[in-house]
Amino acid sequence: MTSDSQDIESATTAMSPVITDAPDSKTRRYDRQLRLWAASGQSALESSRILVLSGTATSTSILKNLVLPGIGHFTILDDAKVSNEDAGNNFFLEGPESIGKPRASEAVRLLRELNESVDGAAELSDISSAIAKGASYFADYSLVIAHNIPYSQLNQLSEILWSDVTLPHLIIVRSAGFLAEFSIQFHEHTIIESHPEMPPSLRLDKPFPALLEHARSLDFENMDVTDHGHIPYAVILVRAMDDWKAKNGGKAPTTTAERDAFKKSIYAMKKKSDEENFDEAVTQFRRAFVETKVPMDVADLFQDQGLTSLTPQSSPFFHLLAALREFCSRPPHTLPLSAALPDMKADTKNYVHLQKLYKTQSEKEKDEFKEILAQSGIGVAGVEMGMVDDFVKNCHGLRILRGKRWGALDANPTALASALLSSPREAATHLALSSVSVLLEQTPQKAITTEAVTAHVLNLLPKGTELPSEVEEALGEVHVPSHSHLDESADLTVSVRSPTADLPNTAAFLGGIVAQEAIKMITKQYVPVNGICAIDLIGCTTGIVRV
Amino acid sequence: MTTTSSTTLRTAHIKAILGNELHSRLPSTKILLVGAGGIGCELLKNVVLTGFGDVTLLDLDTIDLSNLNRQFLFRKKDVKQSKAFVAAKTANQFNPSVRINPIHANIKDPQFDVAWFRSFDIVLNALDNLDARRHVNRMCLAANIPLVESGTAGYLGQVQPILKDRTECFDCLPKPVPKSFPVCTIRSTPSQPIHCIVWAKSYLLPQLFGEDENGGNELDEAEKQGENEQEIATLRKEAQAFTLVRKALRNSQPSANGKMNGNSHASGSADAARLAFDKVFSSDIKNLLSMADMWAHRAPPTPLDFDKIADGSFVLPGATGSKAQSAQTNGKHVNGNGSQTSAPEASSSSSLKDQKELSLQESLVLFVSSTHRLAARLQAGEDTISFDKDDDDTLDFVTAASNLRSAAYGIAGKSRWEIKEMAGNIIPAIATTNAIVAGIIVLQALQVLKKEYSGLRNVHIQRKAEVPLSACSVGPPSKNCAVCRDTYAEFLCDPARVTLSQFINGILGEGDGDGTGERDVSVYEAGRILSDPDFDDNLERTLESLNVSRGKFLNIVDEDGEWGTISVAIGQLPPNHSHDEPAFILPSPLPLPPKIQKPTVIEPPSTPPRKRSADEVEVLNGRPAKRPRVNDAPEVNMASPSKKRRLEEDGLLILENPNEVVDDEPELIAID
Repeated sequence: MTSDSQDIESATTAMSPVITDAPDSKTRRYDRQLRLWAASGQSALESSRILVLSGTATSTSILKNLVLPGIGHFTILDDAKVSNEDAGNNFFLEGPESIGKPRASEAVRLLRELNESVDGAAELSDISSAIAKGASYFADYSLVIAHNIPYSQLNQLSEILWSDVTLPHLIIVRSAGFLAEFSIQFHEHTIIESHPEMPPSLRLDKPFPALLEHARSLDFENMDVTDHGHIPYAVILVRAMDDWKAKNGGKAPTTTAERDAFKKSIYAMKKKSDEENFDEAVTQFRRAFVETKVPMDVADLFQDQGLTSLTPQSSPFFHLLAALREFCSRPPHTLPLSAALPDMKADTKNYVHLQKLYKTQSEKEKDEFKEILAQSGIGVAGVEMGMVDDFVKNCHGLRILRGKRWGALDANPTALASALLSSPREAATHLALSSVSVLLEQTPQKAITTEAVTAHVLNLLPKGTELPSEVEEALGEVHVPSHSHLDESADLTVSVRSPTADLPNTAAFLGGIVAQEAIKMITKQYVPVNGICAIDLIGCTTGIVRV
Repeated sequence: MTTTSSTTLRTAHIKAILGNELHSRLPSTKILLVGAGGIGCELLKNVVLTGFGDVTLLDLDTIDLSNLNRQFLFRKKDVKQSKAFVAAKTANQFNPSVRINPIHANIKDPQFDVAWFRSFDIVLNALDNLDARRHVNRMCLAANIPLVESGTAGYLGQVQPILKDRTECFDCLPKPVPKSFPVCTIRSTPSQPIHCIVWAKSYLLPQLFGEDENGGNELDEAEKQGENEQEIATLRKEAQAFTLVRKALRNSQPSANGKMNGNSHASGSADAARLAFDKVFSSDIKNLLSMADMWAHRAPPTPLDFDKIADGSFVLPGATGSKAQSAQTNGKHVNGNGSQTSAPEASSSSSLKDQKELSLQESLVLFVSSTHRLAARLQAGEDTISFDKDDDDTLDFVTAASNLRSAAYGIAGKSRWEIKEMAGNIIPAIATTNAIVAGIIVLQALQVLKKEYSGLRNVHIQRKAEVPLSACSVGPPSKNCAVCRDTYAEFLCDPARVTLSQFINGILGEGDGDGTGERDVSVYEAGRILSDPDFDDNLERTLESLNVSRGKFLNIVDEDGEWGTISVAIGQLPPNHSHDEPAFILPSPLPLPPKIQKPTVIEPPSTPPRKRSADEVEVLNGRPAKRPRVNDAPEVNMASPSKKRRLEEDGLLILENPNEVVDDEPELIAID
């Protein structure tokens, strides 16, 4: 035993010194989220700079959920002093101790405690002074988030940020009591990693040569029973279809009767009744003949304006998309094959072999894609290699979102009216919040009554529009008193009637959902909300008003 | 500044919206928060801000670095501290007037019995595991205390208010059964990486570092299931031979600093690492190979050679120079293959080094070093070591052992990162989803406290940009739910002085057929059968001797299926209970289970078979209109929770929502 132990000592010390792969503390800290958006998403987050206008409870809740996962920097722009209400509803203040101190400084200090690698700053000036500085002031940031800022300032802000596509996106958040809405202002948002739920096609209807050859090479009849029970269903389907075509003049089954017959032919291939791999093949039998085409969502992108106006200055995404369009125009008119093979009933040997076939073919098609790209104007050099791989790997889920300027909906009575018809609840929430926000600036708070808001809502809509009951309900929820109640509530403090009450649970909810969308925008992963997301926390519903 | 007027002002908003009546009740409302993790931290903050004044916060866990990306009440300096205590302290700083009572314990501990649950006005669940969620559900039903249930997984989440007899309970909806594997697949014929990971984590690690048992029960069970006898006999021998290795791991002289390293001389644990390796990767595999008929139709495994792997001369059969197989050949850095070829995810950030796949040689080094580290811990006094995904030594060991086994069986290797996820049941978790869920929990709790039951909603957070949230009205209890349809009662006793028959006779009483009175029954405790009409051995034993104690439930099941099941919670006698009186107090009135309507015709399922799309992908579309019920036939609660727990620990992701299964990603395997 002694000689053994000496062997092991010399053996292990002779090998490379430390390969224990314990990750560093940063990776450990972010472990659970890296499993959602990977290192690429994390590095996008870490280089982001976020400007938040106002230091409300909702604003700090949103920031909390951005500081924790590790954005690069945030600034809170706010000239307000901490009020009594702030101290009661904003967790990122030190309760009564903070009252009277600058709200932004207090919040930044406490938010920074959440994550030492995030940089934060308080800017104690008012929003209009920032707006006065113009586009250059905002160009420093990658995203701007505004919560409950006055209507006219929002209008100016959104105009500035809309003026140039390189300026940051703007997330507008409004809340009152249990109602809220948010939307994202962006010109264009392209997504490579949308993480679609639909897996890429296995292309069993158009088997690539090596797959077809493999399926043909198997001697199903004389194969050992155990092996027979472990042929992956993908191979079974390719073979069954090949056999079918051989007997039917090269044609795939088209009628229901033919398809049933095809299904039966798969059952007939079984050697034993309990061969699960054949059961899987039967369940998946449509894959053998339903034609694999470029998915509709991706095919639509080939018509996108970004391609019709492609210039060398266009973003790499569109050059890659152009190459993809070219790729798909060639036979077999499909997307490049994916190397990802779903789990299927098989033994290791069979499964690994099939994996290798897919891997090899997908590499081959990726090379073809790269060749096309190389021949295009921009050339491969213009695009990072990692991006090409990501693009090809995720091409079945590519997305392009195009947005409108904030406020476009409110300026369009017809669109508002049709939104009120198609999604009355969400549209009513939007109209209530929008009107209250306008009125808040125009009239003293006391004069904001249900009647005044209703009148404003009607003003936004085409003449003669009849308001659905949802509007009245929404107004009830923002706690705007009607004339009849004004006297009763006269003894209450002004803040009670404030239609912008920032409730802790609404703020917490918004903090989650808005930060979620911000992360999607920053990481360019997953598909963010496009339109106005209206939220009613009494009924716990959310919905989108298309803009 | 803490004048009355400023306090009034501070709470003005919330008061206006909650109404004076509810708002004035909040400071004295007793609320129990179970869990101070991802959801719990958010929840505690919301509860404090909303104005609750009497909060009990319970969590058994301590803070880990990987919590800090979402559990915002904790800082780096708090790592390893009790979650409940740190969370309470941080939240109290915000509002010192709130009474927060932190408890660092397991919610399943005996002192948290039904009477304890009954002392609260409402319970909010912020748990991360099915077992504890089920337990709290049951306790709340037994105590008749409203519960708001919750869970999150990545971008998905759910909130469910539960009121006894009014809404569905947590167990009314089917929960997906965790994936389990036949024992022989794990022990002798693995075909997927997960088989090797489960083997390393749940078999090898406990065999070497866990309690001294031979894993015999599992094999007895397998034998009963009719698995290959010869194979089982071999496995049994194999298990017994571990004794030698266990000894070697424990009996060496610890080196001066208590740590083993390559330079310490001929230490026993170095011996042991070699011993363990030779046993499991060489001789055990050779033994299996000797059963020729096992490999007649399967690719046989290859015994590994310690020295050859160490010096780089070991080559696995079939390991050609192809790119896809480089992970299985020996030592990527030896043959000059760049290591980044096998780790595409890692290429964008060098910090993610544990995402790369290990070569055979690297696995060996890691196996030896992690065995050293674990052995040193045993020698330093740790009794047993069990797998913990956040314990680097155990994770390294499982990573190395499973990769070595995979190599022997020609299965693709996995990186430490992937193994952590698979072995540790890791569910992705982010702050945002938890924040959304915690906001909704409190809103639902307020509806419950206001008794505005029409406002109760089952809420699901989904990954749909069009409808981020789906809310539906809560349904009534499932009429065949094996949990909430039981008749609950409480039996206060001294288990050392009460026999099972006293218990049964006491609960059934002397009635005359209204559900009370003597009848043929079986008695179960958590799936164990304690008695039935043909099995009376235990009747005169005390509850204590049957391991039935405070906090547990005894289920009385009617033998003829005529009466509903009575679920009796065992509680404690009041302190002033006289020793002269019987050692138990019966519930008053005695439980009256409902008469079961014998089904006359078995109805066919009302839902038509669902049409499946060509791609067999279920789409998250709100919730399915009709959901299958768990128990469509009256059924005894036979499932053994202990077994279930073991499966959960071994299984993959445990998803709470049937809809969540759609996420195919974990099953996609690509050779990269």
